[in-house]
Amino acid sequence: MIVELGHYALIMALATALLQSVLPIIGARTRDAGLMGVAPAAAIASFVLILFAFVALTVSYVTSDFSVKNVWENSHSMMPMIYKFSGVWGNHEGSMMLWLLILVFFSALVAFFGGNLPATLKSNVLAVQAWITSAFLTFVLLTSNPFQRLSPAPLEGRDLNPILQDIGLAIHPPMLYLGYVGFSICFSFAVAALIDGRIDAAWARWVRPWTLAAWTALTAGIAMGSYWAYYELGWGGWWFWDPVENASFMPWLAGTALLHSALVMEKREALKIWTILLAIMTFSLSLLGTFLVRSGVLTSVHAFATDPTRGIFILCILVAFIGGAFALFALRAQTLSPGGLFAPISREGALVLNNLFLTTATATVLVGTLYPLVLEAITGAKISVGPPFFNLTFGPLMIPLLLAVPFGPLLAWKRGDLWAVTQRLYMAAGVALLVSLAVIYFATGAPVMAGLGIGLGVWLIAGSLTDIAMRSGVGKVALPIMWRRFKGLPRSAFGGALAHMGLGVSVIGIVAVTAFATESVVTMKPGETTVGGPFTLQFEGLKPNTGPNYTELQGRFVISRDGQPVSHLTAAKRVFTARQMPTTEAGIYTNGANQLYVALGDELPGGGVVVRVWWKPWVTFIWFGAIFMSLGGIVSLFDRRLRIGAPAKSRAPAVAVGQET
Amino acid sequence: MFWILAAVMTVAVTISLLVPLMRPRKKDIDAREFDVEVYSDQLREIERDIKIGSLSGQEAEYARAEVGRRLIKASKAEADHTAASTGLTRFGRLAVIVFLPFMALAGYLAVGQPGMPAQPLATRVAPVPDSNSNIQVLVAQAEKHLASNPQDGKGWDVLAPIYLGLNRMHDSETAYRNAIRLLGSTAARQAGLGQSLFSQSGGIVTAEVQEAFQKAQDLQPDNPLSAYFLALGLAQEGKNEQARADFVKLAENSPPDAAWMPLVREHIQRLGTQAGMDQLQAEAAPPPVDVPAVDGPAVDAPGPSAEDVAAASQMSNEERLDMIAGMVAGLDAKLRENPDDSTGWLRLIRSHMVLGQRDQAGDALSRALDHFGADNADRQALLAMASQLGLEPKELKQ
Repeated sequence: MIVELGHYALIMALATALLQSVLPIIGARTRDAGLMGVAPAAAIASFVLILFAFVALTVSYVTSDFSVKNVWENSHSMMPMIYKFSGVWGNHEGSMMLWLLILVFFSALVAFFGGNLPATLKSNVLAVQAWITSAFLTFVLLTSNPFQRLSPAPLEGRDLNPILQDIGLAIHPPMLYLGYVGFSICFSFAVAALIDGRIDAAWARWVRPWTLAAWTALTAGIAMGSYWAYYELGWGGWWFWDPVENASFMPWLAGTALLHSALVMEKREALKIWTILLAIMTFSLSLLGTFLVRSGVLTSVHAFATDPTRGIFILCILVAFIGGAFALFALRAQTLSPGGLFAPISREGALVLNNLFLTTATATVLVGTLYPLVLEAITGAKISVGPPFFNLTFGPLMIPLLLAVPFGPLLAWKRGDLWAVTQRLYMAAGVALLVSLAVIYFATGAPVMAGLGIGLGVWLIAGSLTDIAMRSGVGKVALPIMWRRFKGLPRSAFGGALAHMGLGVSVIGIVAVTAFATESVVTMKPGETTVGGPFTLQFEGLKPNTGPNYTELQGRFVISRDGQPVSHLTAAKRVFTARQMPTTEAGIYTNGANQLYVALGDELPGGGVVVRVWWKPWVTFIWFGAIFMSLGGIVSLFDRRLRIGAPAKSRAPAVAVGQET
Repeated sequence: MFWILAAVMTVAVTISLLVPLMRPRKKDIDAREFDVEVYSDQLREIERDIKIGSLSGQEAEYARAEVGRRLIKASKAEADHTAASTGLTRFGRLAVIVFLPFMALAGYLAVGQPGMPAQPLATRVAPVPDSNSNIQVLVAQAEKHLASNPQDGKGWDVLAPIYLGLNRMHDSETAYRNAIRLLGSTAARQAGLGQSLFSQSGGIVTAEVQEAFQKAQDLQPDNPLSAYFLALGLAQEGKNEQARADFVKLAENSPPDAAWMPLVREHIQRLGTQAGMDQLQAEAAPPPVDVPAVDGPAVDAPGPSAEDVAAASQMSNEERLDMIAGMVAGLDAKLRENPDDSTGWLRLIRSHMVLGQRDQAGDALSRALDHFGADNADRQALLAMASQLGLEPKELKQ
């Protein structure tokens, strides 16, 4: 019965969302407090209803209720409990449910904490959110209903795709969706401002934390996805410029630009119209990503079962929202009052530069992702735009941007002094240059570019530290005052510095792996050895093993350095019994920031096996950098300065806007 | 019960939406107060910065003046009051009361199945036995038993022919292999293994299939099943004379009304009158007796032209094989020029396999996979066929 109640709740949620789409807008136009009051009530009601539906689906998964078609298709009674649970969103229908749940959760947060928003703005924002909710609820109910039943119920399910049976499934999609869907709030705020024809001062204060929260989650989600693909797929790469990866990377690039322009807008009331445009673009790119991976345009593990009607439906949603928002922008943008003025050399100017580079980079990735698809649709020719294209276009765009990053935070608002900033950065530049030279000198045979690349990473880190040091007044004031200033620095300053440092850390990891990684493919028999970086691997042999729902062939290796055994690792080839699908489990040995990565290949007659060994120096820096960036986002989110009290509730304690995420 | 809970849910949601419409907020807030609040907050922020020293002298003055200007502008803006309630509120109430329950009910009745209970696996009663689901239940039970006692050879031996009958070829292969490993080789087990392998290879007597039937025949020389498949294998290899002789022998040793006789006669006739060309195009002859039909990966290949066939029928065996090799080489060359032809690749790999050139087939597969990038439907098709033929691609990215 709980299944059917969940189904009913989902339909009820659609009815509620449709009311929420219409009544508050009318209320905001006519300044009717009653109709506007429907918005928060309906937002919270939708959240409760969809949460109930989601719980009902989860219960079906956990209890292996194969009378639910979705459970039968994607679960198996022998699966470990954690995968039964995360398997809820390991398929198309369930992941759309998670998408919806996060969407209405965010709407409910706006409803709940939005006491300090002007009523018309709040109503319009929630109405726009309800448009998105209604569109996707209709999509789910008509084309991807997770509550379809089977009678008689089969006795056993078809199992979850083995590649997805991993802890990564519990983290990667929810994080990614928090990011994608978080940008929907920025989108709704932008559209609400366009509908209202004005931008309230509270607008920027709300948009920045939402952008920050969404960006933080998206950064973590992409990094998790990259690491998951790295250890699960067994091909040793961490980024492939695959269209599916690009689909998440484009909103990230645009979101990063939005984050920076929202900063200018909050602090300086400048770049208002540009920020609105960016907010629309960022969410549009999130929708585009959803379309690309769900419509069957691409074949990938993310596409799940493809069905052309779904593709067309999402395309309609995409066209309606993106087209509608841009049309509204074209119609209404001139009614918005433009923001403050600033000199080209200023913090605002630096952030505009950042935006220019980031949006150009987004456009580059967009072209590289869509061009092959469009070409195939028009001429039928299949081409593949791989890493060479992106390395030649995206790479050169990033270098000047990364070089410029440390200047931004040091420039003054409105009008800055570039020369003075350069003088402050001489230490950072010196350190970066020294490291570059050291790398070129010590790493024999290293390309000069690798040295410079690592120098660039060091430059970012040193530049961020310089920023914090200068703000604390290092070299200008006495130590106690310096300490007091340091402690008094807003958290957003630390957050920004941390994020920029993380960028530097990632750059170092990327450059080091690209330049210094080694790969070898060898045939090994038990007892034979091979070399990976400074380590020697001895193959002990293959051994069969049985897991809860798979059988595997484990290859065990002893790792030694200078003749001394230091550790061992196990790589395996699994076959999942239900789907008879083989997967590769890479064996990874982490040594400091470096990793030794071993994947098993084919077995050869006579007891030998093909073994791929990668030595990846500093590879973990890539993901540590991303973690730093996310941490920076979190630190910024908790900045006390985001607090604003509502004028009507001056007696009640002010709500910290940033904390609800 | 379901309808009671559904009604409770409907009423609760309807009421929660009606509440703001029945009692609109009494207090009227001017929208511009929000702007004023934000700017005052910014002014306080500036004071705080001055106090800790991160903003000094002139900078602070500029900042204060700027925010001050905005504050004045905001407080001078036109007041923007909201009305407590208008006639529209009544429309809102009506909309909620009518639309919400109606839409939810209509929508649910259209797609839902109100009477259907949840059926968690743990609480499921044994299903009503109709013949098919009965087998499924037995199989499921046997599978569960074998998952915990994988060394039970007898269980595998019982399950293997059932799998074969259910057309679950991969499972029957595993079961036969386990039974052979645990209980030893018999003609029936080897022949069963041969049949499951044959079905998986898409109707080609591969070296593995041949080995299984050869073992079966060694154990029981008069088994018609293994005789049939071994002869078919010879025919597929192009050894027509030998194949024909074996089929004739099988026909002589079988009772004239045996179920497989029509098929055997057909083979004898074909091999007698027609060139080996057709066999090399690897038609999957329907296997005899109780072997289920095979769904191999069908490849529509532009076969040899009528002239080719006519010419081939005049040739000797060697000449014929030369001609076939020439055609395969031609296809190979064509694919080097135009590697996008995925059907061509499938055909080339298959031809190599039929000719017994396993290595060349593997090479062709690697080349084809290299050409089709990741995430490509053609690549999937190639991989699917490769696994059915038992070919392992040299490297696999994902």
